[in-house]
Amino acid sequence: MLKIIIPTIMLIPLTWLSKNSMIWINTTTHSLVITLISLPLLNQFNDNSLNLSTMYFSDSLSTPLLMLTMWLLPLMIIASQFHLIKESPTRKKLYITMLISLQIFLVMTFTATELIMFYILFEATLVPTLIIITRWGGQTERLNAGLYFLFYTLVGSLPLLIALIHLQNSTGSLNMLLAQYWSEPLKTSWSDTILWLACMMAFMVKMPLYGLHLWLPKAHVEAPIAGSMVLAAILLKLGGYGMLRITTMLTPITSFMAYPFLMLSLWGMIMTSSICLRQTDLKSLIAYSSVSHMALVIVAVLIQTPWSFMGATALMIAHGLTSSMLFCLANSNYERTHSRTMILARGLQTMLPLMAAWWLLASLTNLALPPSINLIGELFVVMSTFSWSSISIILMGINIVITALYSLYMLIMTQRGKQTHHINNLPPSYTRENTLMTMHLLPLLLLSINPKIILGTLY
Amino acid sequence: MSAWRLRVKLRSATGLLVSTRPTQRHTSPYGPLTLCRSLSTGSHLRNEFFKDLEAQLAAFRKKAADALPGSSWSPLQINPNLPPERADIVIVGGGVLGWSIAYWLKQKEMVRGGVRVLVVEKDPTYSQASTVLSAGGIRQQFSLLENIHLSLASADFMRNINEHLGVLNEDPVDLQFNQSGYLFLASEEVAHIMEENYSTQRYAGAKVSLLSPTQLKQKFPWLNTDGVVLASYGLENEGWFDPWTLLNAFRRKAISMGVIQCCGEVTDFKYTTDVLRTASGDTVDLKRIGSVKVQMPNSLEYQPVECAIVVNAAGAFSGKLTEMLGIGSGPKDSIAGIPLPVEPRKRYVYVVHCPDGPGLDSPFLIDYSGVYFRREGLGGNYIAGVSPEEAEEPDTSNLEVDYQFFEEKVWPCLAHRVPAFEKLKVTSAWAGFYDYNTFDQNGIIGIHPLINNMYLATGFSGHGLQHSPAVGRAVAELILDGNFKTIDLSNFSFRRILTQEPMLEINIV
Repeated sequence: MLKIIIPTIMLIPLTWLSKNSMIWINTTTHSLVITLISLPLLNQFNDNSLNLSTMYFSDSLSTPLLMLTMWLLPLMIIASQFHLIKESPTRKKLYITMLISLQIFLVMTFTATELIMFYILFEATLVPTLIIITRWGGQTERLNAGLYFLFYTLVGSLPLLIALIHLQNSTGSLNMLLAQYWSEPLKTSWSDTILWLACMMAFMVKMPLYGLHLWLPKAHVEAPIAGSMVLAAILLKLGGYGMLRITTMLTPITSFMAYPFLMLSLWGMIMTSSICLRQTDLKSLIAYSSVSHMALVIVAVLIQTPWSFMGATALMIAHGLTSSMLFCLANSNYERTHSRTMILARGLQTMLPLMAAWWLLASLTNLALPPSINLIGELFVVMSTFSWSSISIILMGINIVITALYSLYMLIMTQRGKQTHHINNLPPSYTRENTLMTMHLLPLLLLSINPKIILGTLY
Repeated sequence: MSAWRLRVKLRSATGLLVSTRPTQRHTSPYGPLTLCRSLSTGSHLRNEFFKDLEAQLAAFRKKAADALPGSSWSPLQINPNLPPERADIVIVGGGVLGWSIAYWLKQKEMVRGGVRVLVVEKDPTYSQASTVLSAGGIRQQFSLLENIHLSLASADFMRNINEHLGVLNEDPVDLQFNQSGYLFLASEEVAHIMEENYSTQRYAGAKVSLLSPTQLKQKFPWLNTDGVVLASYGLENEGWFDPWTLLNAFRRKAISMGVIQCCGEVTDFKYTTDVLRTASGDTVDLKRIGSVKVQMPNSLEYQPVECAIVVNAAGAFSGKLTEMLGIGSGPKDSIAGIPLPVEPRKRYVYVVHCPDGPGLDSPFLIDYSGVYFRREGLGGNYIAGVSPEEAEEPDTSNLEVDYQFFEEKVWPCLAHRVPAFEKLKVTSAWAGFYDYNTFDQNGIIGIHPLINNMYLATGFSGHGLQHSPAVGRAVAELILDGNFKTIDLSNFSFRRILTQEPMLEINIV
């Protein structure tokens, strides 16, 4: 794993020592090359993990997430080029350093063996994200957004620290690989119940669970494009990944402790999907759709069946790519019209036809069109939830319909129809933007050919 | 039994106060239902804590703040009057047209909070704004169909103004819309124009009637019908109203719907330029406004407001605004060389007192010489004036009134037309600017061809106020729906200035 971490750390001197004209080129190409290093990790033994050292390991759950993280860094850098044009070179380098340090923490988080190290890096990812949101965000509301983001996650994860220390004391080791074998089953006492809650709440806030999701629309909307991309694509998956890892130690009380969260998620996904239909702000719509998709992942993780785990991992990867792509598309709109309001920029298909093609594909994957991996994830989750309880099919079915509704609403509102007068002279799509969209779409479409890579440990 | 009483929520500077009327219907704990005035002048005997909760909390907070050490200084000295950093639509100009557009934008957005609208007005006292200095008349007697439709729609709006602009819990709007009608008098030479206009107006649905001199004498005995061959009298939806009330009604309603108001002056634009080349090799610069620089009054502080659309409703000062974008400073034979043909023109309005004057049934009379007068109030006061000749346009650097003008140009014609006006006294006068369209004296509505996201709604040359509700709706339709839906005003676009095809009103004056 050091073969990934050390080059990523060395990206920082690369940024600071580059010539001003070469900042973007150097960082983009080098981060792309580093992505290639992670490819050998795909050689996974499905029932065991690749233990590269006592501190780092990778298995079929963390590898796709790791690859997504590493793939996203060059995309974030490509996407940030436009809005940083006016800044001084030092500021640009600082911004890229924030992205790279976030990348370092994320790589280490996804490959950490020890749960305390996972926790420390989990918290550490908050800092560069907060700096990106509050320093480079768009409007005055970004201060509020940063506050919500920071304190929701901190307050949710402090109990996790205490729980982990307690587990270290009681079991002697917090190595994830050992913990699944050494952990004692939890009893139905108050202390074990609270231990369960303490472990899970951090990840619930991060996912986010429906009742604790207030930070997400704010943070996603106010963050600059790279911030939105990394938030939607990776940071939400940290929660899912953490839940998948820690539920192995929290049996058997999960079967009844999970009920309130299951209900919240099942109801929440319909609620947030419905709110999407009433959104006027494009980024806000995509943010709420993220909550809706993640609610499916929470349901999947909490019912703990093999198919649901497969669906959860597939959905996480698929949603990461789709959501990030939608934010990039929304940003390309914003850069041209300086407004995120949907009704002010309509009929873009006639203006920017290639971008309309990317909009179409992104919306289709967002509504889980077969044979994309979005569908595989959603389908597995729906089927396993149905086997858990037959009535949930109604809720899931309504959610799927409403997801299709708002995805098409977003597509038709921005692309179709008669264009407004004031977007008559938009600059055409840059190659950079088209590259960005293709790099999002290509993995998404290719994975539908071989989805077993992303189906996780239980395939 | 619980006591119920009428509550009046008063908005005051210190926040919401809940007060109770003195006359209450309540159940006293000592007896049955009584209708009585509260007799005690001291404080409440029972603990009225929950009813005075707001006041109690404010007092508590104040006490706690006073008890804490330190001053109320905070390191973040944020000026609360600054506009937001970002808005979707910035309307430059807070006159009646600007606020009308803001209201209609909010009215037409389909979800609450759909578009973020900011109205920037440089003078909150409206000391030089054309809206409040207007004579306030509304008429349908135009020759262009669009103008007639606009007036009809606006009159309909103003007749039902409380349905449109009424705000919950606030006083209803009273426009003082006197529907006394306009009376145009035509001489021999221009009578045929009046007849043509009459048929156009009737075709459009305006309720106008033609009167012969004898009918005129019968209806208005105080009128001297010398030289008058034909008269056109508006029977409905014509008259005058209070412009200040209309402005404030639009403003109050728009603010209640979420429009942000800012007191500041737009001094600069940040725009991106796209240079295109025509087939013959000439370059055309297409500009797109990225942000508007709003300067705070009497201060060096400014705030750049990032926006998607700018609406130029600056009235008499719209020409200056487009100059900042380089319109009018290109080579003479190119589109960029054509400036926005709107400039301020000063018009005087004189208030006269004549106790033996025409009386309460006098319409807004406009003579063929151009002199007009109308009744003002019920005390025998009248407002009179005339548009000066092209050559004698007064200086527009200030709003000083020239009383000599009244003596020379207005009084003779007025006295000739209405003999009672021989004995009148000028009690006061004021001057206001027309946002005069030097090209064809009609409004310019639509996008400027060279600036991709600036909508124009200016140049109405004296009939902006009466058209403001309908024009506001038209501009909102243009922005949000993409084209005109109710009244087609595409003839008023900037194209006619490029192609030099004026849309002139065939007036008799």
